[in-house]
Amino acid sequence: MDSGKVKFFLGEVLRNFSRNAGMQVTAIGTVAITIVLLGLFLFIRSALAFAGSQLLDQIAISAYLRADATPAQVAAIARFVARDPRVASMQFVPKKEGLAELRARTNGAIDTALLTENPLPDKFRIKARDPGDVAAIAATVRRLTGVDNVVYGQKIVQRLLQLGAVLRRIGIGVIVVFFAVAGIIISNTIRLTVFARRREIAIMQLVGATNTYIRLPFICEGLLDGVIGALLAVALLAAARAALWPRLLEALPWARLTVVPIDERVLAAELLLVGAAIGLVASWISVGRHLRA
Amino acid sequence: MISLRGVSLVYPNGVRAIDNVTLEIAKGDFVFLVGDSGTGKSSLLRLLYREARSSTGEIVVDGIRVDRLRRNRIPALRRHLGVVFQDFKLLVDKTVWENVAFAMQVTGAHTRDVMRQVPRVLDLVGLSHRSRMYPGELSGGEQQRTAIARALVNNPKILLCDEPTGNLDPANTSEITTLLQRINLKGTTVVVATHNQAVVDRMRRRVVRLVDGRVTTDEERGYYYLGLGQGQVLSG
Repeated sequence: MDSGKVKFFLGEVLRNFSRNAGMQVTAIGTVAITIVLLGLFLFIRSALAFAGSQLLDQIAISAYLRADATPAQVAAIARFVARDPRVASMQFVPKKEGLAELRARTNGAIDTALLTENPLPDKFRIKARDPGDVAAIAATVRRLTGVDNVVYGQKIVQRLLQLGAVLRRIGIGVIVVFFAVAGIIISNTIRLTVFARRREIAIMQLVGATNTYIRLPFICEGLLDGVIGALLAVALLAAARAALWPRLLEALPWARLTVVPIDERVLAAELLLVGAAIGLVASWISVGRHLRA
Repeated sequence: MISLRGVSLVYPNGVRAIDNVTLEIAKGDFVFLVGDSGTGKSSLLRLLYREARSSTGEIVVDGIRVDRLRRNRIPALRRHLGVVFQDFKLLVDKTVWENVAFAMQVTGAHTRDVMRQVPRVLDLVGLSHRSRMYPGELSGGEQQRTAIARALVNNPKILLCDEPTGNLDPANTSEITTLLQRINLKGTTVVVATHNQAVVDRMRRRVVRLVDGRVTTDEERGYYYLGLGQGQVLSG
């Protein structure tokens, strides 16, 4: 490549860029805000997904057996459940163990020694592979002969699934809005530059510069807005993480367990790419619209 | 070099700027387009460099069918043409040298060629000593010479001039006219739209007269006014 050509081209881009510095700052700031939001969203989503999956993992179906269920019926239930492909694991809990569990769980608040007779029935504890299948498995098991009642965290399962979906939708909505705003601001910035340089553009067209050549500096300008904004956002996110993470762990010791570790370098690279893409697409559209000649 | 057959140009507002014009301009010709303001001189030039697209007819410029040219081929056409305007269209924040080099740089020329070609055309238009100055520091004639240098820097075969002396005093006008003649002598086809009587009458070259978008006369060695010699003026 001809170094004089490169110098001329970079000079043009930098001249564009510095010509309306105020707009560039606005564009870069909006991109930065958008990307910070996106980064936070990705972080919170992965944390929630991880915590949620752990909670859901703990949700088991308890199938209580009738007191008069025969050993043959119990064996049939066990065989049937074990064959179900949706079931991850199944465990028979005799009433004696159930009582011991209850005692342990309540820390002795219930004095089982006072009981003259064990009031708990035998039960199966069943875990689903997919939390979404819990309700269906419970319904199937309830119909089996010898099963008295089936209990699982219906409400919790549904709430968690719903909450996750709602949060995701809100997050995506907010981010889409910010993307649109960032795109519009970048494309306006480019439009101002196009306007400021209309004489140059007219002369370029007159002497036979190709459209690609005329557009390239503007596209680069948008790209620069996007990349600088994204760099700023990544720096902000990294700083925030360094400053807040230790305090968060102090306040919520379980966070270390419930937040899945993300590869931060990959995330940073992805955010930079997103920034570049906003700048590229916005300037591409803007230049296409304002250079129709 | 330039050929128009039955060319008309109707603007979207219904104005018929060019009306069924047929015209041949040979390689190396020097042609004046004359006529009152609004008779279509500029429109005719605009058709040639495809700033406007003809409504009907056939236009060939340097072997290129301009009327059928696809939009993305327009840059290629314009590299065969140099165009000069009344208002010079120079970039005020670039020096003379940079203004001329710009026309090469934006068409992707090699720096090596820019360094060789720019001094050559600046020398041709007599502005070598002004190359570091900005347009604001130049006289009108020097600005127009800069514009001509820019138009010539890509070695076009055709130079189109739209009122090149419209903003110039008589001294600068004759300077530009002389320069255009020199350029023509080097083999470049030159087409000049003008309503400067002195220029046309002094040069005695081919004169194509437009009235209401039509070619009314086409003389080999014409005057600005039909049938009148130099120094004579139409009364009224």
